[in-house]
Amino acid sequence: MGVPVIELAGVGKSYGPISALRDVSLTVDAGSVTCVLGDNGAGKSTLIKIMSGLHPHSEGTLTVDGTARVFGSPREALDLGIATVYQDLAVAPLMEVWRNFFLGSELTGGRFPFAGLRIKEMRRITDAALRDMGIEIDDIDRPIGTLSGGQRQGVAIARAVHFGARVLILDEPTAALGVKQSGAVLKQIAAARDRGLGVVFITHNPHHAYLVGDHFVVLKLGAAVLDARRAEVTLEELTLQMSGGDELQSLSEELSRPS
Amino acid sequence: MTRSPVRLLARPEVGALVAALAIFAFFLAVAPAFRSTGALFTVLYQASTIGIVAVGVGLLMIGGEFDLSAGVVVTTAGLVNSLFCWWFGVNLWVGALLSLLVCLAIGFLNGWLVMRTGIPSFLITLGTFFVLQGVNLGVTKLVTGSVASANIADIDGFRSLQAVFAGNFGIGGVTVWTTVLFWVLFVAVAAWILHRTRPGNWIYAVGGAPESARAVGVPVVRTKIMLFMSVSFLGWFVGMHTLYRFNTLQAGNGVGNEFIYIIAAVVGGTLLTGGFGNAIGVAFGAFIFGMTNLGIVYAGWDPNWFKAFLGVMLLLAVSVNLYARKWGSR
Amino acid sequence: MRRGFLAVGAATVLLLAACSSGGREATEEDGASGGNAPGSSGYTIAFITHETPGDTFWDKVRAGAEQAAKDEGVTLKYSNDPDAGKQAVLIQQAVDSKVQGIATTLVTPDALAGSVKAAGAAGIPVVGLNAGIDQYKDLGALMYFGSDDTVAGESIGERIAAAGAKHPLCVIHQQGSVSLEARCAGVRAKVPGTENLQVNGADDAAVVSALQAKLAQDKTIDYVVTLGAPIALDTVQAKEQAASTAKVATFDLNAETAKAVKAGTIEFAVDQQPYAQGYLAVSSLYLYLKNGNDIGGGGPTLTGPSYVDASNIDKILPFTEKNTR
Repeated sequence: MGVPVIELAGVGKSYGPISALRDVSLTVDAGSVTCVLGDNGAGKSTLIKIMSGLHPHSEGTLTVDGTARVFGSPREALDLGIATVYQDLAVAPLMEVWRNFFLGSELTGGRFPFAGLRIKEMRRITDAALRDMGIEIDDIDRPIGTLSGGQRQGVAIARAVHFGARVLILDEPTAALGVKQSGAVLKQIAAARDRGLGVVFITHNPHHAYLVGDHFVVLKLGAAVLDARRAEVTLEELTLQMSGGDELQSLSEELSRPS
Repeated sequence: MTRSPVRLLARPEVGALVAALAIFAFFLAVAPAFRSTGALFTVLYQASTIGIVAVGVGLLMIGGEFDLSAGVVVTTAGLVNSLFCWWFGVNLWVGALLSLLVCLAIGFLNGWLVMRTGIPSFLITLGTFFVLQGVNLGVTKLVTGSVASANIADIDGFRSLQAVFAGNFGIGGVTVWTTVLFWVLFVAVAAWILHRTRPGNWIYAVGGAPESARAVGVPVVRTKIMLFMSVSFLGWFVGMHTLYRFNTLQAGNGVGNEFIYIIAAVVGGTLLTGGFGNAIGVAFGAFIFGMTNLGIVYAGWDPNWFKAFLGVMLLLAVSVNLYARKWGSR
Repeated sequence: MRRGFLAVGAATVLLLAACSSGGREATEEDGASGGNAPGSSGYTIAFITHETPGDTFWDKVRAGAEQAAKDEGVTLKYSNDPDAGKQAVLIQQAVDSKVQGIATTLVTPDALAGSVKAAGAAGIPVVGLNAGIDQYKDLGALMYFGSDDTVAGESIGERIAAAGAKHPLCVIHQQGSVSLEARCAGVRAKVPGTENLQVNGADDAAVVSALQAKLAQDKTIDYVVTLGAPIALDTVQAKEQAASTAKVATFDLNAETAKAVKAGTIEFAVDQQPYAQGYLAVSSLYLYLKNGNDIGGGGPTLTGPSYVDASNIDKILPFTEKNTR
C-alpha cells in the first residue's frame, strides 16, 4: 500500500437546503485503486466534483499531501496532479485525437505572439503514449468522436497519465461499454495503478470494481454505508450492498403475501 | 497513419472550394463580361468587405457563439470616428483610435454578458444589435441634425487614413483595393491561430465541448470574450474602410449584413453548432457570396430574381459541402 | 485587464454623451429662428409616415413638419412604421386620442383605408402626403401634398431622352418598393431601352461593386438614374472605377449630391422637396382648422419634380446644407 495522496474526512456538500453528500471519509493511496460504488443519486457525482475542483465542498476537510485544500477551479486540482476523466464529456468530439490529448496543455515553440504549436512532436507523443497504455488507434488525426467509447476512455486515461497525474478519477468509465471494451478499460486502470497512480474508480458495477479494486466505499443517499479493504469484503457482500442489501430483505418481507 | 484523398473531403474548406470553383466555372460560361481580371478584382473587393468581418464571425461560430451586432458595429465604428472628429474638430486619427476602443468595448461587453448571464449569445447580441441601431440613428441625428454623418474629407488626417484603410493601386490596368490584401492577411492570421496556436485549439474546444474544455483547464470565458472582441475589431476595420472610401455614412446602414457574415461562414463549412470549421473555408464562403452577387449582374439577368437565385446558389453550396463532408468522413 | 476594458468603455460612453448633448444645443440655436411656443394655437396634429428609420429623405419631411408646427404653435405627434398594418394602427391610435388633425402618407391605400375612414367618421380632417395621389380622395382625405412617382420618372425620362439617352440604367436600392418601381417605369415609358438594376442600399460597398460590375458588363449604358441621393454618390465612385462615360442623374437631393451637381459629376437631381411636403401638410391642416382653407383647388398639390442642375445649384446649395432642401 502506498502513501495517501488525497484524504477526505467528514466531507459534505449542500446545494442550498439540499444536502447532496454527508460525512464521507475516504483515502486515495498511490499505486492502489479505490472504488466508489453507488446507485443513481447516491452522491457519486457530487464526490467527483469536489475532488476534481468543479465544486468546492461545504463541510469537512479535503487534504492533499497533508495540506487542507478547498478547490476553486479544476485547474487547481490539475496542478496538484488530480486528473478527472468524465463519463460523457471527456472530449471535444470533432477535434482530432492528438488535439484532444494535448487540450489545455499544448506544447508551443517560439515566443508570443509567434508561439506556434509543435504539431509533429505532439502527434508523435500522443501516438507513443497511447501505445504505452496498450491502446491501438489507426489514425490519431481522426476526430475523437469517431472512436469507440472504450478507445475514448483510453485516450483520456493515457492523457492523464502522460501529464503526470498522481490521482486519476474515473467517472463510470465502463457504464456504456460492452464486455470486451470494459475489459480493455479495466486493463488500463490496472496499468495506471502499476505506474504508481492512485485511481478513484467510480462505478455501479460491483463485478468491475472487484476485479481491480483495493478499497471499496459504497455510497447511499449521500452517505457512506460501507468502507472496507479488499481483504475485509467479498464480491457477494459488495453485490448485496449494491443491490439494496438489508433494504431488499425488509422489502421482501413487506411484499410477501399474507398467508 | 496515411491520410486518404477521400478523408481530405471532410475538411471544411474543401467542400466550399469545390462549390466556389463550380460557381466560378458556371459564371465564366454564361457571363462573357465575367471573363476579365477586372471583373475578378471587383468580385474580390466585394468579397473582401464581407469576408473580413466574416472571418471573425466564423471564428466566433467555431467557438460556439453568434454575433448579430456584427453588421451594425461596422456603421457604429465609422460614425464614432466621423461624428467625434467633426464635432470637436480634432485630427481623424484620434477618432479612429477612439472608435477602435469603442468597438473593442462593444465586443467585450457582448462576450462578458454572454458568459456572465449564460443567456444564449443569439439573444444578447440581438439586444446589442437593436441598441446600436438606435444609438447610431439617435446620436447621428443629435450631432449633425440629419441621419447621415457630415463629410469629413477636409479634416486633418483624412488622406493618410484613406491611404491605410481605403487605398487602391493599379496593376496592368486593374484596380486592386487594399481591403483585398488585408482580407488575405486576416484570413492567413486567423487560419494560423486556429491550427497552429494554443488559443486556436481552445477555440475549437470551447465551441465543441465547453464543459470538457473547462474541465481540462481551458480558459473558456477569456477565449470567448476574445472571440467577440475579434469580431468587433474586424467590424471596426471595415467601418474605417467604408468611412474613408465614402466620406459620409448613413446612420441606418449595415443592418442585414450580420446574416451575410453568418451565411459566408456556414457556406464555408462552419458548423452552426460550433466546434468545426476553418478560416479558409469562411474566405471561400465570402468569395462565393460576392461572386454570386455580382455574377448575376455580369450575366445581365433580370435583377428581380436576384434573391431567389442567390438562395439557390447558397443551398447548392451548402449541400455540396455537406455531401463532401459526409463522403469524406465515412 | 477586464477592469481596464470596462474603464475604457465607461470613458467612451461619457465622451459620446458629452458630444451628443453638445450637438443638441447647436440644433436648438439653429431652429430658434422665429416660431411660437409649441401648442400655443391649441391644435394637436398627428403626423404618420411609413419611414424606415435612418432614411435622410424622411428626416427632411419630419424637419419640415416640425418647423411648421413650431411656426404655427401646433403640438406635433410624429410616429412612423414601414409596415402597412402597423401604420394603420398608428392612425387608429391618433383617432382614438382625439387629435385635431392627421397628416399621413398613403403608400398602401388599401391597408390604411379603414383607419383613414374612421378618422373621417370621427370628424378629424386628414391630409395625405408623399404617396397616394390617386387614392387620397377615395379615402376621404381633404388635401394632398407630394409628387407622382410615375410622372416624375417620365419627366426624367423625357429630359435624358432629349439629351440623347438610348440605354439608361435605373438603380433600385430597395427590393419590392412600389414607388421606386414606379419611378423606373416612368423613365422606361420615355426611354424604352431602360434597364433596371437591384442593389443592396444598406451597404455602400455592395452598391459600388454591383454598379461597377454592371457598367463593365454593358458598355452601352449612357445614363445611370438613381432613386436615392447616397446611391448617386456611390454611382459616381463606381463610374470612375469602371472607366464608364455614363452620366448620372438622381432622384432626391442632399448636401453631398448638391456638391456633386455643382462639381458636374452628377448631371442633375430631381427632388420632390420632402421638407415642403412635411411643412405644407401641417400648415394646410392648421389653415383648415383655423379658417376652413382648402389648398390645391380640389386637386393634389405637387411638390415635385423640381430640378436641381448647373443653372440653379448656386442658389440651392446653401439650403441643402441646412437640411431644408
